[in-house]
Amino acid sequence: MSVSNDADGPRDNGRASLLVAPGDDLGVSEGHEAGHGVLMMDGRLRATKHGRVNEKGGEVAIEPFRTAYIPRPSDMVIGYVEGCTNNIWFIDIGAPFNAILPMSLGPGKAAFGGTRSILDIGEAVLCRVQEVEETHSSVVTMKGLGLRKIRSGNIEQVDPHLLGRLIGKGGKALSQLKEDTGCRIIVADNGRVWVDGEFDSIITVRDRLQAMSDDAKSTGVDA
Amino acid sequence: MAIPLVPQLLRAHLAELAENDQRHDGRARWDSRETELELGVLQNAEGSAKVRMGDTIVYAGVKFQIMTPYPDRPNQGGLMCSAEIRPVAGRNWEPGPPSPESIELGRVVDRGIRESGCIDVDDLCIIPGEKAWQVILDLFAISDDGNLFDAFALAGIAALKTAMLPEVKFEMSDADRPLPVSKTPTMCSYHKVGGRFVYDADGKEELGGDERIHITLGDDGHVHSLQKGLKGIFTADEFAEIMEHAQGRCEELRQMILRAEG
Amino acid sequence: MGGYGDVQMIDENGLRVDGRGPADLRPVSIETGVIPVADGSARVTWGSNHAVAAVYGPMEAHPRKIQRQDRAVLDVRYNMAPFSTTDRMRPGFNRRSREISKVTADALESVVLLEMYPRSKIRIEIEILTAEAGTRCVGLTAASVALAHAGIPMTDMVVSVASGKINDVVVCDLNKEEDNYGEADLPMGILPNTGELVFLQMDGDLSPAEFQEAWDYNMEAALVVHQIMVDALKGGDA
Repeated sequence: MSVSNDADGPRDNGRASLLVAPGDDLGVSEGHEAGHGVLMMDGRLRATKHGRVNEKGGEVAIEPFRTAYIPRPSDMVIGYVEGCTNNIWFIDIGAPFNAILPMSLGPGKAAFGGTRSILDIGEAVLCRVQEVEETHSSVVTMKGLGLRKIRSGNIEQVDPHLLGRLIGKGGKALSQLKEDTGCRIIVADNGRVWVDGEFDSIITVRDRLQAMSDDAKSTGVDA
Repeated sequence: MAIPLVPQLLRAHLAELAENDQRHDGRARWDSRETELELGVLQNAEGSAKVRMGDTIVYAGVKFQIMTPYPDRPNQGGLMCSAEIRPVAGRNWEPGPPSPESIELGRVVDRGIRESGCIDVDDLCIIPGEKAWQVILDLFAISDDGNLFDAFALAGIAALKTAMLPEVKFEMSDADRPLPVSKTPTMCSYHKVGGRFVYDADGKEELGGDERIHITLGDDGHVHSLQKGLKGIFTADEFAEIMEHAQGRCEELRQMILRAEG
Repeated sequence: MGGYGDVQMIDENGLRVDGRGPADLRPVSIETGVIPVADGSARVTWGSNHAVAAVYGPMEAHPRKIQRQDRAVLDVRYNMAPFSTTDRMRPGFNRRSREISKVTADALESVVLLEMYPRSKIRIEIEILTAEAGTRCVGLTAASVALAHAGIPMTDMVVSVASGKINDVVVCDLNKEEDNYGEADLPMGILPNTGELVFLQMDGDLSPAEFQEAWDYNMEAALVVHQIMVDALKGGDA
């Protein structure tokens, strides 16, 4: 996990970069806001997730070591077509629920009974989350720049907490990887990474991803 | 078992890898994953083993019961082998009565051990027609990342080889004695992935692959059990090729068990 | 509780059959990440007990009738492996396991922030590989660590310990012999940061004073086990 060390050095309250488990007390809540993974209870801040404390501008949050993908509007995701009806595709986006891709937002219109001729079961799509209901049902769209059916290359799964390390500060690590290998690489917000290019280059990217995740494992949670 | 979605891109990628004689995790076609065998890991079992092959982890435990011999075989005890794959082992394994997949697993491992003759059922007789030992081998997976067959077979025979007949507990003598196991049958499994057979497929290769073949060989290289599973067609030449590999690899696995026994 | 009062389980020095004093826990060790294919996992060894727990999800709740529109449900299974006990445990339906699964789910639902995942379920699988005594406590403790390891948000982790009575002496963390011949057993599920309870059972016979003593033993032991849980999470995967 790449936690950026702010230029102004360690926090004087000693909370920044602290490892926490659910239930850990994070001090008085006054003057702070509870961010991701933090609850305000009886005037104190309490961790609800296992991870590292991150404090920015008065907000105390936890960067979790592991976490489920929960879709948010405008996320770019890679999905697999899991099923369809006459006017809807059901897309597995690696979230608790399949997303819905209505035909009006899909890559093309089919005549009655021809949904699968446009997008078939098991095919992969690059799409964007259009809306997420309160109960976590989501609608994805393929209308937008670059959104399309994925016809070639390979899709790897990267643990969500390693995405920051893969992309690097300002996208530097990712640009370097693209430059080194000549591959097209798209890192989707749901942890799926599409890699396309020459066969040998795809293999090189795979090995780099593997090395990154092995490295994270061997260095434990301090990664 | 819930049937997971097979991404078309995965199948295409596995086929491209096969054309280039590569595998998705960097192994060569006949390479196994790192394989670890630990003995005596379950305190309440009379014999036990744990096997780890990559991210696949299984346990095998041996328990004994007293049975009445079957009327047509009054001088014989029994061997029972059962595989349980509970939902702890993976996202797609479901609770409920044993699935066809887990029954197949248990039976294929059972046949390999039974048919090798490594356990002499006559040895298990205590009083002819009245009392005999029943050996129960329970195979238990906690993490399924492919090739449970080989993991179960390896853990199973290793657990049997370390098992002690609990004669003290059953008030039959004042010392437990080792279960006589005269041979060491081992299994090798091959999956067709991207159009060719590979050894020790992991979960991703099983997901994007086709049929599988399991071969159990005894000490002298004799064949004791075979099983073809899942949809798919294979040729005699393909079978000859994997059989040749199995002859070498089964012996390596046998040596691994003998080394672990010390 | 067997209630065989004539079996001597405490010696003249006040020590127990395994050499512990009345307030002592058995050795406890915990590691995370032991089931690589799960979203979160933990192994707890506690005396001779050996339990693993896996967490999968959150995922869509099936069948649909178990779905809750406003929150997630926990689908907990506690199970004893066939080789976990001295006499082989027959696989299959078991009323004891069902009850323990239910009270474990009830305990964990009290701390997991269920409302963050409406209509979902979180699968929690507890497998006892070796049983000594107190497997429900070991299982609940393992499940708490596995949930935290999976990144499931919760207000606190549950620590579960049982104390009881043997030869009229109140003792902490009963072992197998004590469980077989003891006169009372009081398992509790404790939230270590507040001292609140989410799980409580008891059977046997305790005077109000003995009950208070057993309660206090559990509270003290919970803090010890909690530290081991936290260290396991902060130390990283095996």
